[in-house]
This record gives sequence, C-alpha cells and structure tokens, in this order.
Amino acid sequence: MARRRAGILSLAVAGTLALSACGSGGASTAPASNPAEATGTLRVLVPSYPASNEGKAALDKVVASFNAKYPKVTVEPDFATFDTLNQKISTSIAGGQGYDVLVTGIGWVPPFAAKNVFEDLSSFGATADSLGKSTDPALVPASEFKGKVYALPLIAAPKPLALRKSLFEKAGLDPTKPPTTMDELKADAEKLTVKDAAGNITQAGFDFWAGPGGYRQDFVALLGSLGKPLYDGDGNPQFAGAEGTQTLEWMKSMVNNVQKYGAQNAAKSPLVNTGEAAMGFTGGYIDCSDKGVGKATCDDLVYFNLKDKDGSMFTGGQLASVGKSSKLKSAAWDFIQELSKPEAESGIAALNFAVPAGKDSAGSEIVKSNPASTFVAANLGDAKFEGGAANWLELRGTFGTSLDDALLGKKPVEDTLKALEQQSK
Amino acid sequence: MRAAGAAHARAARPEGRKSRLTRNQSRAGWLLLSPALLHSTFFLAVPAVVAIFLSFTDYDFSGTWKLIGTENYVELFQDPRFQAALRNTIAYTLVVVPLSMALALLIALGLNLKIRGLGFFRTVYYLPVVTATVAAASVWLWIYHPSAGLANAVGSLFGLARSEWLNDPGTALPALMAVGIWQGLGAKMIVYLAALQGVSKELLEAANLDGANRWQVFRNVIWPALGPAHYFVLITAIVQTFQVFDLVFVMTKGGPVNSTTVLTFDIYNNAFEGLRLGYASAETVIMLILIAVFIYLGGRSQRNTQDGQ
Repeated sequence: MARRRAGILSLAVAGTLALSACGSGGASTAPASNPAEATGTLRVLVPSYPASNEGKAALDKVVASFNAKYPKVTVEPDFATFDTLNQKISTSIAGGQGYDVLVTGIGWVPPFAAKNVFEDLSSFGATADSLGKSTDPALVPASEFKGKVYALPLIAAPKPLALRKSLFEKAGLDPTKPPTTMDELKADAEKLTVKDAAGNITQAGFDFWAGPGGYRQDFVALLGSLGKPLYDGDGNPQFAGAEGTQTLEWMKSMVNNVQKYGAQNAAKSPLVNTGEAAMGFTGGYIDCSDKGVGKATCDDLVYFNLKDKDGSMFTGGQLASVGKSSKLKSAAWDFIQELSKPEAESGIAALNFAVPAGKDSAGSEIVKSNPASTFVAANLGDAKFEGGAANWLELRGTFGTSLDDALLGKKPVEDTLKALEQQSK
Repeated sequence: MRAAGAAHARAARPEGRKSRLTRNQSRAGWLLLSPALLHSTFFLAVPAVVAIFLSFTDYDFSGTWKLIGTENYVELFQDPRFQAALRNTIAYTLVVVPLSMALALLIALGLNLKIRGLGFFRTVYYLPVVTATVAAASVWLWIYHPSAGLANAVGSLFGLARSEWLNDPGTALPALMAVGIWQGLGAKMIVYLAALQGVSKELLEAANLDGANRWQVFRNVIWPALGPAHYFVLITAIVQTFQVFDLVFVMTKGGPVNSTTVLTFDIYNNAFEGLRLGYASAETVIMLILIAVFIYLGGRSQRNTQDGQ
C-alpha cells in the first residue's frame, strides 16, 4: 500500500515538474523611469539581419548604441526569416512570450494592429506628420492603420521595370522611349518575344518575375498605374472595379503570349537581368561587379515605371513595431528609434539589397552604388503597396492563387475579383 | 511440508487477487512506461484535446475568443481551398499508398534473391529514406524545371513534348506523387524484406515439390505469409501520405491554383498565415477523422483478404 502511494506520488511530482517546465519564462520586467536603471531582456524579432557574421555584426552596432542608454537591458535577438515570421509571432503570442520589438513587412501592419499585436505609437508621440519629417513621405501610409501609426519604416524594397537596350534596338524599338502605359508595354512586348520552331518562347517579351501564385505584386503595380491602390486608407478593397478588371484582363492577355505562365529560371532571378527577357519586373538593387551581372549588363539596362494615370512601382519593405504585450515599451520604442537611424537603416538596406526609408536616403552609399537603387530611391513617390486589409495575411495566399485561376482562364476575371472583394470584407 | 503449506496458501487465496510477483511486475511495467506515458499525455493527448476544444472557438491569437459551436466546420465545408485540399490529399493517398507498396514488394522480392551487389542495391533503395525531405525536394525542383531540368531533357531523348511539370495544374500533383512514391520505397522495402526472410522454407519447398510455378508459390505461400507486414506497411503508409507537408511546402506551396494543396498545408496556412487557430483546429480534427477512417478501411480489407485465403 505504501509502495503504491509512493508510485502515485512520484508520478504526480513528475507531472508537476513537467508542467512547470512548460510555463512561461517571463523574461521582460517592468521598466524603471530612468533608462539607465531599466532592467530586463528585450526580445527583438529581426528578419532584417541575416544570421550570418555580417548580419550579427551590423545588429551588434545597433545594440551597442542602444545599450549606451539602457546599460542594464539585455537585447535578445531572434534572427527569423520572412518565411518563418508568422509562425514566430503567432506562437510567441500563444505562448505568452510576445516580442518587445517586431520587424515585419509592408502589408503586415493592419492585420497585426487589428489583432492588438502592435502598440499604437501615438503613445510615444508618433504621428503621420512627425513620421514624414524623418521618413520618405511615400512610405508613411504603409505604417498606418485607421489613421494611427503602428510602425516605423526601415527600408523600402521596390520592384521597378527594366528593359534591355540592345534587345530593344534589335527589335527596331527606341530604348530611350520606354512604354508608359499597359497598352504600349504589350505592343512592345509582342515585338520583343522570340519563339523557336516548335513555338516555345526562347526570349520573353515581358517577364512578370513570378512563379505560380506569385502574380499578386505585379497586379498591385499595374493596378496602381491606373490610379487605384489595392485598398484605400480605411481598408476597403479598390481592385474589383473597372481598373482591376482591365488590369487582370491585360495580364491574362500577356501570359502564355509574351511569357509562359510561371516561367522562371533556376535561380528565380529577374529574366531581364539575365537577358532571357527583353523587359520585365526587376529588383531595386543590382550588383554591377564581375561577381554580379557585370558592367556591360548594367549599362544595357534602362529602368522605368508605368505612368498611365499615376506613376506606379510595387514597393515592399520592412517596418519596426513595438509589441503590445511588451513590459519594456519605452525601451522597445528607443530600440526601434536606433534601428531607424540613417546608419542603421543603411546597414539593413545593404544586407537586404533595398534602399533606406529615411528622407535623405539618396545620399547613402547603397543608393549611389548601383543604377537600380538610384532609380528606385529617386522614384519612391511612385510606391504602391500590397495589403491594407485587416485580414490581408489570411487573404494574400488566396489572392495569388485566385489571380492564377483568372490568368489561366479557369475563372472569369470579374468573378475572380468579386470573390476576392467579398473575402476582403 | 513447506510445499504443502504453499499449496494451501495458494488454495486459500481469494480468486482475482494477484500474486506478489505479478504485482511487482505490473509496478515495474508502469514505471518503465511512465516516461513515454507522460510524454504522450503532455505532447499528444493534451494538445489533441485542446485542438478539439479550439475547433469550436474563433481563437485567432488576438487574446479575445468565444465559443462558436460548429461554425468553423460549416465554413470549412464551404471553403473551396479546403475542398481542393481534401480532394488532393485523398487522391495522393489512393495513388501513392498502393503503388509504393507494390513497388516496394517487387524490389524486396528481387533483393531477396541471391544476386551480386545485394548490399549496394539495398543501400541505394534505402537512401531516399534517410535523405532530408527538404534536400530531396530541392533536387526534384531542379529535375522538374521546365527549361533547365533533367526530366524534360531525358523526355526529349525519347521524343516526348516538354512538360511544365510543377507549373501545370494537370501535372503538378502527379509529379509530387512520383516523389512521394520514390521517397517512401526504402522503408517499405526493408519491412517486406524482413518479412520475406521469415517465410517458412519448408512451405516453399513443399510447394516446389508439388510442382507449383513461381506465380503460384507467390500467390499461395508468400503473399499470405506477408499479411502482418502488409498491415503494418499499409497503416504507416496511410498516415505518412496524410501527413505530407514538406514536399508541398518546398516544391509548390500548394499551387498552381491549389492543384497541390493538401490538408496539412492548408492547416498550416490557416493557422500561421491566416492566424485562425480555431479554424485550423477544426480542419485538423477532420483530418484525424479521415485518417482513422482510412486506417479502419485498410485494416478491414487486409482482414478480408486474409480470411479469404
């Protein structure tokens, strides 16, 4: 009998130990009013910095500057990637160990603001006007939700259009006059498409730089050239009207005409950079050294944006927010201030092949280093973003596959956009 | 005297009362089982119960949630992406399981013969099992690349037209099935090989002496003897095919146009992209029920086959 009681007791103790081991760590502590006296651990989720020696060295500089003001606060970085960001954020919330600082992408602010994951930065005096004094004004809307600021933009990662001068000249077109509307783009693309005897496209007239399910960002850029954003400032969908239909019909007429659906090279790099396409979407950074595409290719590229009713350039990027559940909110705010300083932003931009979000980014080394970055920095006023709805993170996967349904003719364009509009509400 | 006393004590003991030895053995068994039991309780049973509970809520990580009855289930069955995931998962299972079992058995029969390089072939067939799925999927991505891949290059040697493979909704899922079959062959082959080596040699000799040909020997001696192996391979194959995730995640992300979306991938999207854990939990419960149904049906078919022998 005594042995049975001992067995049951030992099982109970083991169970209690296991439960307590699963309990939350509670790393953050309440702040002191004086930063120098604040203690605790600041958990920062930073996909901006790769988990490499360069990434860690760049973050260490930011941490050192932060620790000059908060010497007793330990910074605990989480070098997540954008692929794992959602899992990290959701499991940290579910586990009761939310991050103090979160760096996310453009389009992520409304969903996380709506779910009370991000702190309203007006409590630190941040407004759209104050943000516009230090950040490029074109990027400010990406940090807002229902009129309040929830993030500080750090970098912008635009996707401009580019053409190959040599291929334009070969087709009898003038590379100094890039197309400005979708109609002009299509007309030029059809002249630039080269096919073999079997009818396979060997040189795409226009590259969407998109695999299956990846045409969403192109849609945003093209819709923007007709003067429509994906969502308005109140999160209402703007893509299901006449402009959206026109854009998607146009894309459908281009797919399997000037480029095979989902065509990508093995490296998934922009085909206009490799010469496999005469025109197309490309990145906001290009390496013109011998290790990259080389000077000859760089000189052969001309960057442009469509300007039908409005200049348009799809722009992604990264923004930093304070976690709503943070117990070190002031320290977190000061940390993201450190991240948004020009030197730190330039470091992040260099690591991510993007441009700094600061107002004076035109003078930064990364922007001056290559023609793509110089172009996008000078044209950030054309920036068009994806997202804007509170359920964008849930919707964006469906958005991509739904566009494919229309592009491949499986569903009518109008029905596709109407269904997406319904899901947005 | 002592023996008589012990016998008397045994006779006097009331029925159902275990002996000291049995009680000690029982206690030792529970003690040895307790770590695994604790693990299963805290990491399997408790999460399963929580998932079932969450499936009746609208929990979305925002901190506020409420019970919503069967709304998640109703919405699921109207969700075209769930419908596609369900169809694709069932299709994947119905194709991959029998094909991989049949191929694995064929290979095991071949490797059960005394051929040269037996060790080499066994290693080669088992290698895909020990290769990380992500690494294997990355290689297959190259094989299936429409313009630079090996599949089209080899196909063109035989005059076959170029296929878009993973970019074509018509060929993407079959392409993934091929990878699934290839990857699962080794583990099944090993089980069958072990079972084949346990087939009674006397029975095989007797069949040969009776003049049975190879097919008759296989049909009447080997196949029935493999019954337990069939059952084990079938159950594990069903569970594995329902759990296919990393192949889809690396190779297609469920596309093009949801042609390769499977239940696990849709659950992942709903939970971590859509941040709808309640909805994803409902989908998980449905998947568990489906797995149970398939295992039951598979087991029934095995028993019917054996009873019919």
